Amino acid sequence: MVLVVNETFDDSSHEDAGHPERPDRLVAARTAIDDLHLDEDLVVVPAHSATREELVRVHIGNYLDELSAYCYSGGGDIDQDTYATLNSFTIAKYAAGSGLAVIDELQRRNDGVGFVAARPPGHHALADRAMGFCLLNNVAVAAAALRSQGERVLIVDWDVHHGNGTQQIFWDVPEVLYVSTHQWPLFPGTGSVNEVGGRHATDRTVNIPLPPGATGDVVRRGIDEMAGPVIDAFDPTWVLVSAGFDAHREDPMADLRLTSGDFALMARGVSDYAPQPGRLVMFLEGGYDLDALRSSIHASLSAALGQTYDGESPSNGGPGTEQIERMRQARRSTIELLHTSDDEESTR
Amino acid sequence: MKPFQSIAVGYDGSHDATVAARWAMEAAKDFGAVVTIVHATGLREHLHQQYVPDVTPPELIALAQECAFEESGLHWLVANGDPCSVLLRMASPPINADMLVVGSRGEGKREGLLLGSTSLEVAEHASVPVVVVPSSYVER
Repeated sequence: MVLVVNETFDDSSHEDAGHPERPDRLVAARTAIDDLHLDEDLVVVPAHSATREELVRVHIGNYLDELSAYCYSGGGDIDQDTYATLNSFTIAKYAAGSGLAVIDELQRRNDGVGFVAARPPGHHALADRAMGFCLLNNVAVAAAALRSQGERVLIVDWDVHHGNGTQQIFWDVPEVLYVSTHQWPLFPGTGSVNEVGGRHATDRTVNIPLPPGATGDVVRRGIDEMAGPVIDAFDPTWVLVSAGFDAHREDPMADLRLTSGDFALMARGVSDYAPQPGRLVMFLEGGYDLDALRSSIHASLSAALGQTYDGESPSNGGPGTEQIERMRQARRSTIELLHTSDDEESTR
Repeated sequence: MKPFQSIAVGYDGSHDATVAARWAMEAAKDFGAVVTIVHATGLREHLHQQYVPDVTPPELIALAQECAFEESGLHWLVANGDPCSVLLRMASPPINADMLVVGSRGEGKREGLLLGSTSLEVAEHASVPVVVVPSSYVER
């Protein structure tokens, strides 16, 4: 099976001294790809700068104008976490557009696995606001493009932080199913199990908040038991992964205890949700320990390509297993309550 | 009009946030309101937690004493998120703030742009009145 990745684009000028979201992260990602030794099974597609038409499917025009003006006038801190430089808008458009180029190639081949090695990351970016290191929502731009082609898109977000931007953008969109595993409580403060989607998309958001210290077995069980039946019923035609690797035990930004072996198992698991080869794309989100990032990307891609991964063993035994059934029931109750209130409203 | 009963203030330790907190305490005395001072814990703050829940920063206790504001009416909250989202959340349960107060500009922000301005973002999205306290404000 081939791996389709985006061509390198120059992201070096989107940098803020001492900031953890830094160009070296992409160097680690590219090294992880090299480590796979794919030779002719590695397909590199030209990076694509997202057009305004592609971006306004998820971002409001005024925000794009503001962000563009802010960057081209020199940039600066947008909030306590998020920065922009003179070239950040240009770089962010390449990050947002590269997923589209990878998807085009997978559609042409009807084969392979896609990986978008791009920064800045995207899953915190809201329709009208930058936050959490994110300027444009890369995975959302790709999902919206697929939706416009009539596809049903599953987004699995295993970054340690909840992807509030992606959730918000597709909150009331029935053609997109958003599933997130994340540490709780943690930035950005959203991602409760009771957030299940809007009135037209009830059951299209599945949040699996996990306590600090949770290990890979807990994360996988959460996905299997809470999201599995919903995914099966949704029957996706595409699977996109917000692949953050900051849930790794060595990452400084959070307290989950995953290993690269866990990411391999999770990648294998999400591959099974894709209806056919050529319908799975992973998008780099977080991950700030460079060694952990490299090994975790390597593990994920190996597994998605059907290769054996013999690095770090999967982790187990952490807290959180006991709350999965409670969360599943709480989620079910919330959905039933929403349906009941909808029924009452419609009979008035 | 019903008097305001619950005022929430965004706080990041900056001069502007302190001025906003002072204004909120003075106003709360007039309204008989409680004041919730909330700090938004950003993504990077996980690396070096600046503020902790349950421990009101001493500078805010000192400020309350200076304003003769009853400490029992002062609540300290640390919440995960960006400053704008966190402050907007204060208008919902359990805080139910009926007024949001914010300094005119936090640290390192550029004037005249919506992007990067918590006060303008909050004002644009809030469901309750928002007071933006200028950094040069002095009680007259």
